[in-house]
Amino acid sequence: MTIQTLASPVRTEDGDAPAAVASRFNRRIRRWGLIFIAPTLLFLLIFKYGPMLWAIGLSFTSYDMVSQPQYIGLQNYRLLLENPVFLETLVNTLVYVGASTALMTVAGLGLALAINTRVPGARHCMTAIFLTNLMPIIAVCLVCRLLLHPYGLVNQMLAPLGIERIDWLTNEATAMPAIVFVTVWRFAPYFMVVFLAALLALPDDYFEAAELDGAGVFRRFWHITLPLLMPTVFFVVVVSALLSARIFLMPFIMTGGGPGNATRVLSMLIYETGFSYMKMGQAAAISVVLFAIMLVFTTFQMRLFMRREQVYS
Amino acid sequence: MTTIPSEEVAVSRWQLTGWKRGLGLVLLLAFTIAFIIPILWMVTMSFQAGDKMFQLGTEWIPSVWHPENYPNALSRAAFAGYFLNSGVVSLVVMAGNLIFCTLAGYGLAKFRFPGDSIVLLLILSTLMLPLEVTLVPTFLIIYNFGWMNTYMGLAGPLLIDAFGVFLMRQSMLSIPNDYIEAARIDGAGEIRILLQIILPQCTPALAVLAIISFRDSWDQFLWPLTVVSSDAYRTFPLGLVQFGEDYGNPPSEQLAIAVLATIPVFLLFLVFQRSINRGFGLSGLK
Amino acid sequence: MDNSENKPTVRAAKSKGVTRRDALALIGAAGAAVASPALAQAGRINLSFWTFENPQQRPWLHKRVRQYMEKNPNVNVEFQWFTFADLGKKISVGYATGTAPDGFVSQDWLMPTWQAKGLIAPLDIQKLGYSSYKAFADDFPEAFLAGATKDGKVYGFPTWFYGFLNYLNVKHFASVGLDPERDAPLSWEKFGEVAKQLTIKDGNRFTRQGFKFAMHAPQWTMVQFNPILIGAGGSWFDATGKCTINNAAGVKAMKLRASIAKEYGAEDPAESIATNPLPQMDWLKERASMFWCHPIPPPAIQSQNPAMATERYYRPVQYAGIDGKPGISTTYGFNLVINARAPAEKQAALHDLYKFIMSDAEDCWGDTQPFPIARKSGWTDNPKVQSFPQIAEVLKARDQGVFLPRTPVYNELADAVHRAVQRVMLNNVDIQATLNEAAAEVDRATASARG
Repeated sequence: MTIQTLASPVRTEDGDAPAAVASRFNRRIRRWGLIFIAPTLLFLLIFKYGPMLWAIGLSFTSYDMVSQPQYIGLQNYRLLLENPVFLETLVNTLVYVGASTALMTVAGLGLALAINTRVPGARHCMTAIFLTNLMPIIAVCLVCRLLLHPYGLVNQMLAPLGIERIDWLTNEATAMPAIVFVTVWRFAPYFMVVFLAALLALPDDYFEAAELDGAGVFRRFWHITLPLLMPTVFFVVVVSALLSARIFLMPFIMTGGGPGNATRVLSMLIYETGFSYMKMGQAAAISVVLFAIMLVFTTFQMRLFMRREQVYS
Repeated sequence: MTTIPSEEVAVSRWQLTGWKRGLGLVLLLAFTIAFIIPILWMVTMSFQAGDKMFQLGTEWIPSVWHPENYPNALSRAAFAGYFLNSGVVSLVVMAGNLIFCTLAGYGLAKFRFPGDSIVLLLILSTLMLPLEVTLVPTFLIIYNFGWMNTYMGLAGPLLIDAFGVFLMRQSMLSIPNDYIEAARIDGAGEIRILLQIILPQCTPALAVLAIISFRDSWDQFLWPLTVVSSDAYRTFPLGLVQFGEDYGNPPSEQLAIAVLATIPVFLLFLVFQRSINRGFGLSGLK
Repeated sequence: MDNSENKPTVRAAKSKGVTRRDALALIGAAGAAVASPALAQAGRINLSFWTFENPQQRPWLHKRVRQYMEKNPNVNVEFQWFTFADLGKKISVGYATGTAPDGFVSQDWLMPTWQAKGLIAPLDIQKLGYSSYKAFADDFPEAFLAGATKDGKVYGFPTWFYGFLNYLNVKHFASVGLDPERDAPLSWEKFGEVAKQLTIKDGNRFTRQGFKFAMHAPQWTMVQFNPILIGAGGSWFDATGKCTINNAAGVKAMKLRASIAKEYGAEDPAESIATNPLPQMDWLKERASMFWCHPIPPPAIQSQNPAMATERYYRPVQYAGIDGKPGISTTYGFNLVINARAPAEKQAALHDLYKFIMSDAEDCWGDTQPFPIARKSGWTDNPKVQSFPQIAEVLKARDQGVFLPRTPVYNELADAVHRAVQRVMLNNVDIQATLNEAAAEVDRATASARG
């Protein structure tokens, strides 16, 4: 369909210059854009931004939930910096989010590529794998705790390989990898579907041309597929990072943050500080730190990727 | 995520031939099975006596079937009611997300205005503060609306999720602008454009959004725990945890409930799977 | 469930013989009879009451509340319960948002927290049926009083109160030639030896652990570690409020704690199938021969090991003592408390309700055995109670136990100790260093609690 010039079929007022019509048209479009976004912004204003600002303000107070918050300035933050548990948790969180994000992205992409090879039964495999994403999180924790038991199924399967018993959830060295693994296992299917959708939307022409040129599978992937997938990669990286930063129930139920502090992440620390120790002000301060990290990360991702978006949309 | 006529995918650049096809199938199958081991284990154990779960040896085909785990589990607490509550709330949340995330995603994707990336960042920022700290003020808002112990209270804060906005925006970005501009030039109104041109082209994303928003609401624990203090409005995760705390209940029954909990979301997936496949052009596959 | 099952039919008078009633119950019943007309004139009162879920305790409370509502049709009690772990949080959020219940059951180690913030009201013990503070104090164990009273005022009316016991598997003892009565390990030195004797290993893998510590939750870590610390001559805090678990006595206590696994080789800390509702699972499945636990209700044993329940081849004994001193247990319990922000008439009604609930000790025992109630007088001589095997041990643990540390930073302390134990037991970290860290953590928490 050829694009007709803007001037002709648009209803014009008598005597209006085409430019004026154009700008009125553009304004109309822009107005509609804002109309579409407005309900969401209104909702977020009430249910999210209000509480968020309240929480940020709370970080400058001492609040135990039962009496009025008392302003104490930056003391919460100062206390955090002096708290080795917080610092250890911060490092754990960065490790956890970093590893989970990277692995979820890679695993999602890998699974999508595997399904995309169109072997018979691929669609059913996709369904089965996606099913794991639907298990209730509480069941996931219960089942995985038993499977990762020193004499549980995972170790039973590793035994023939000569690997001695590994205390997955109770050994400092393996606890975090185990939690990362379970996290990736649980969420990768969702990203598999996202990547698959993107893969299938890729135009064939590029690939036919490359194939004719004699480019091998890997080169085709690296030089054609991957660059075309960048917007989706951006989406997946941002979403997986935000997801893993918020995850709380999984490490909480599986290891309780242990052994020691090996798997304690910020979301858990926030929960404990706020609800167990009843120090909501401090919990809010920790949340602000988490918020700042994620904001920086997301902004960075956006800078990196959004330029490319203009090219491909 | 544009639709591809199924004829055009007949020759795929990824198609494996000959022995590679067989090998690929075997590998994929093996990997899939490894992937779904936990869920297979869960289903198997739900039919076993409570003992078996802690014996650590795995009996994949139960020697003694205990299908009565299911009705037993259901009878020990008001699970029918819990499932109903979860279902209603999740459907409402799904509907809310489908409507408003699509609108907002469309607005962000196709209507370039100054500061639209700031708006996107603002929307994403709502995902960066965990629920625990915003729990008390959110609760107070719900309380002041009079929505405590109601479906609206359970669904309210989940009605529009920034993830959904981001997803819809992402999927709509790839729709060529030509269609839209041509329609506008033809005099079509914005709503018509949205309904007749945009939506049909992002059915896979809509399906994924529907399933994920339903699943997220279905899984919620902390929020229902806070807003509900009456058994009539308990959702099933609360019921499941409470159920697990009672030592009189065999743990295999807890797994039975978990299996049952997977079913509604799975059914939803099956419903939408066809539209995902159509959109993917996978309908040509066996 | 809530009060929708309230039946307005008039209940038949109690049929049990009056001669078997204890004196206090009579006083209680008479008191209730006197109070009711007064309440009946007060008009309709709506109360909200929350408790935690427990398969025996919660249904009994619910039953008593329903009975009370039948006797007092003008009082309507909305009875809600939540999981054990979540009740405290629900109540905190309730206080924060003005939706806290009028009355609730408080785990008694949290009493200092509620008291410090002025959230629970002092009780009028006369309304509960006691003529004076002394009468009240004489009727309850020291350990309970220390927690529920402050400055001569009583803040909680106890329901169950009990101490941990050492549960032995009699069959296992017999299988290695030990006699459960004579050889029950009452001193720590013997404890390790007996545990070692009971252990069976298959190469590196434990077929049977002689003894198992529960490690799944901070509260259990505290309850188990408390008597070892006190017995070793240590204390949680010194007079100035500084945490002293890292002094010489504390290190000694932790070494003792670790010795079962590390010195005697009788335990595998990483290998456990304990669950939240059943921390004693390893012992129930006979993977461990001894286990420290609260009084275990027969239905719990029945649910996992029917043979053990019917043949009764287990018995509780007291904790092992250190350095020749008798063993002490940790005691804890659950108190009925009143929201300080509830209006006066609701508080009065709650007093009446609480008095009624606890007025039938025999019924309580019938439904919730072997959890003893805190009250000392008037029910333990009952043949029904006496016929319960080893009831003497259960009561001894209750009466001779020590309480958990009273501190508003209890949760922080519990978490710090729990983490320290995990690191020592699961990752072989140096004990002194770990305890130093834990003590520093607690001191930090105390400092910021004051600030």
